[in-house]
Amino acid sequence: MTNENATIAAGPDAGPPAQERVSKEGAVGNNRRPLYLAILAVFVLFWVLGLWAGKSTTTLLNLTVEGIMLGGILALGSMGLTLVYGVLKFANFAHGDLMTIGAFVAFALMQVLPGSEAIASFSFGWGLLVAMVLAAPVVAAVALAVDFLLFRPLRRRGASVVLFTMASLAAMFFLRSVIYLIWGADYHFFYPGRANPAMHLPFGITLQADKIFIFVLALVVVGAVWILLERTRMGKAMRATANNPDLAQVRGINTERVIQWTWIIGGSMAAAGGVMYGLASQLRPEMGFVLLLPLFAGTILGGIGSPLGALVGALIIGIAFQLSSGFIDPTYGPGVAFLLMILVLIIRPQGMFTMGGD
Amino acid sequence: MDPAQLARASFFVLPLFLLGLLVIPGNRWLRVILSVIAALAVTWLLGTTLRPGVFTFVASFSTMAMIYAILSLGLNSQWGMSGHVNFGIAAFFSVGAFTSALVTKTMPEGVLATYSQQAFGLGLPFLVGVLAAGVVSAVLGWLVAIPVLRLRTDFLAIATLGIAEIVRLIFQNERWLANGPQPLSSIPKPWNCLANQPQPCWWEPAWLRDWLSPLTARDYSFVNFLIVAVMLAAVYLLLERISNSPWGRMQRAIRDEEQSAAMSGKPVTYYRIQSFVIGSFIMGVGGAIYAHHTTTIDYSHFMPLYATFIIWVMLMLGGSGNNKGAILGAFIIWAVWSLTDVMIDWMAPALRLISNDLPSRGAYLRWMLVAIMLAAIVLYRPQGILKERKRVSDFMPRGRKGG
Amino acid sequence: MPLLEVDGITAGYGDSEILHNVSMRVEPGEIVSIIGPNGAGKSTLMKAVFGLLHPKSGTIRFDGHDISRLEPYQIVERGMCYVPQVANVFTELTVEENLEMGAFLLREGTLDERKGRIYDLFPRLKERRRQRAGKMSGGERQMVAMGAALMLDPKLVLMDEPSAGLSPVMVEMIFERIEEINRNDGPAMLIVEQNARLSLKMSDRGYVLAAGENRFEGTGPGLLNDPEVGRLYLGG
Repeated sequence: MTNENATIAAGPDAGPPAQERVSKEGAVGNNRRPLYLAILAVFVLFWVLGLWAGKSTTTLLNLTVEGIMLGGILALGSMGLTLVYGVLKFANFAHGDLMTIGAFVAFALMQVLPGSEAIASFSFGWGLLVAMVLAAPVVAAVALAVDFLLFRPLRRRGASVVLFTMASLAAMFFLRSVIYLIWGADYHFFYPGRANPAMHLPFGITLQADKIFIFVLALVVVGAVWILLERTRMGKAMRATANNPDLAQVRGINTERVIQWTWIIGGSMAAAGGVMYGLASQLRPEMGFVLLLPLFAGTILGGIGSPLGALVGALIIGIAFQLSSGFIDPTYGPGVAFLLMILVLIIRPQGMFTMGGD
Repeated sequence: MDPAQLARASFFVLPLFLLGLLVIPGNRWLRVILSVIAALAVTWLLGTTLRPGVFTFVASFSTMAMIYAILSLGLNSQWGMSGHVNFGIAAFFSVGAFTSALVTKTMPEGVLATYSQQAFGLGLPFLVGVLAAGVVSAVLGWLVAIPVLRLRTDFLAIATLGIAEIVRLIFQNERWLANGPQPLSSIPKPWNCLANQPQPCWWEPAWLRDWLSPLTARDYSFVNFLIVAVMLAAVYLLLERISNSPWGRMQRAIRDEEQSAAMSGKPVTYYRIQSFVIGSFIMGVGGAIYAHHTTTIDYSHFMPLYATFIIWVMLMLGGSGNNKGAILGAFIIWAVWSLTDVMIDWMAPALRLISNDLPSRGAYLRWMLVAIMLAAIVLYRPQGILKERKRVSDFMPRGRKGG
Repeated sequence: MPLLEVDGITAGYGDSEILHNVSMRVEPGEIVSIIGPNGAGKSTLMKAVFGLLHPKSGTIRFDGHDISRLEPYQIVERGMCYVPQVANVFTELTVEENLEMGAFLLREGTLDERKGRIYDLFPRLKERRRQRAGKMSGGERQMVAMGAALMLDPKLVLMDEPSAGLSPVMVEMIFERIEEINRNDGPAMLIVEQNARLSLKMSDRGYVLAAGENRFEGTGPGLLNDPEVGRLYLGG
């Protein structure tokens, strides 16, 4: 009787084991340069197309800046996704809906919390920040519950990656249905009717103060996660488990504990990302699904398992998303992100960075 | 039975006969005879016991189930036979539907043209529309397969999901193409003339004309039912033939042991693309039939939940890798879906006790149900009800994948 | 009392049975080799001892306790460490981090002292300690793997084919280190080896496994000089 815990989501289609990827990476490591060039070329192309469509450079510059800000929001989601993807070895389709839950839980909390007056030039008050901090453990708990009910039994069985993907789909629909049932299909706003004027910055850039806050928050969170992964025992254990789950068991690392921490961190970040996205646009039940493709695009582009990659990937996707609205209908934004991801996968299938971050 | 009921019931004979051939075991002649007897008996039973309203419901319920069965069969040839995880079924489903609609409709004229736009309208017959739908979907499948099939399973899933989203966005936003986001309506009903709309078909012999004369517009469901049943049978036979061929065995070999199949010298990628394209063709056909069944389509008919994922639930429940399983799964899940529709209406008073808003959101309880069913299948019976039939030698070890 | 006692185990993967009624023991501080032809079940035995595989029948006792049903991390807690044959380092982590992961279960804070000891044993690792393990040669990785296994001061170290894929010079160095580790109250070692001669030379005792069953048993030198063992398994 095999020890079921000894493999996490291993199976014929789990992809090449981590060790194999090393040698493959060595062989194709040099096509990171073509990748950077390709992405740069795409951005230049978007600028040219935007100009050709009649947009001014100021407009395009603003779109780029908006894209960077959007990238910050996406980074919060992508980072959680990449951690889960790296440690648990499957794409969690429910991640977007974890973000949605974070946003809606914060929304519910804000109805009862004080502190709704705006702080400084932001449009939000302390209530939002407190709600966000309180929503994080709720989402973490949801993520842990889903893992316990769905993914853990599959792990014990050594199920194939496909079954994990299917299970995450089931979780996605379940979570979304819960949101629909509790809050309905309507749109909501954290601060309905509140004006949110943009600040005027040099170079003709107009940007709402909120977006800068969101971006800074994303950077702070990325920094915190980086410190966690590089300097703490649990963080190193997470990297070790992502690198080689079997060896982690052999070394005495309690991989189930590592997995739980991964969900807690990933879920908390998803909550923050959801709240920030809700602040920047609006709250709707489909917001998680709408974000899912760009999130995956950013994560995969950046390299699975690499938080730095998630940040860079998210920024690239965010910029592409916004910049493309200069010359095509903005609703096709997700399509653009997706095509960019395909392009990256063709040039360099493992994405930009590896788990080691170099 | 009165003449009208008799006329309606007669549309059930052939489909029931085909069903009998499908499920009754035994040698060929035994099955044929038993199927004929069963078909006539069940038809008589249905015709005499069911009220016309219920009878019509049975026909249209079965029609939708069969359409979904066609889609499941398409997925089976991608996933079941070759292990492709296609989360973009909606793309091929919708492309097939819109293609057939545009090919068979005529361009709107006069006042209508201000309300409804379409890129083209050829006014060609139903079967041409279906074929065109299959071909266009197959081409899309081919274009998608080339860059995407080489990706890892989960990447493939994400990529196909992305493609489906792009396709949906196109149908939603491009007014000139298919009137998006407005519905594209007045899609012709194939062989409407059999229900005497507006006249009996020119090719009907006198006895048939008399037999069908009591039928009215409302009875078209029965004609549609027969048409869809025949198409399902055709698709099923095609797939069974393909599955049992050396080509089919090759697909399964590649799915189970990609390395060794490659080593035997066959061009693996080429084979994998073929199975993906065949599946896309079938999904396109399913889409076409759907369009002619509902006669009005728009992008919202093809949202991921009920145009992609419900089909996955159907196939996984019925049995991945098994064509009969695909059909079985489709009927079971469609029954559950339709039943919950009714149940939620009953439950409205109870729901109102919990919250006033809940009854209007009752539709989302079905989402929850689909989610729970999918989770249950994944956890407790991932291989589905009907196992994949072993077609290789019994002395070989089973493949590692359990479906 | 033997440190490790394997008593009549039958084990395999899924429905197959690779080991039939295999028994062996390791006394405290001993070096014991397991040799035999390919497919004899040597690696399977090691995995069963370490809990990566649970025996279908028979018992495995470590330090007097039955460990047949325990998970690897519980077995590590009891003082047994394992150096796998392949994929034995975390390629994405540095040498130093690999050692730290070896000591994941460490409760008290003697981490630096233990790292120091490993560096004394393997000076080359000290030079390379901030390098990613994935970028190192086979021999260096083996050193990292062994070092990580020693971080918890185990009573017994299992080594699966330590010489695999290494140059002769490296092999000699590795076996010298093995002996050095074991000397002076060092941990007992159970070594599965293809290179039977080298292994038996420094072993206190050895077992010969073939087709999943015990074939021979004896002292290291004894087996080495046994003509029948020599003819069948030592390549003449």
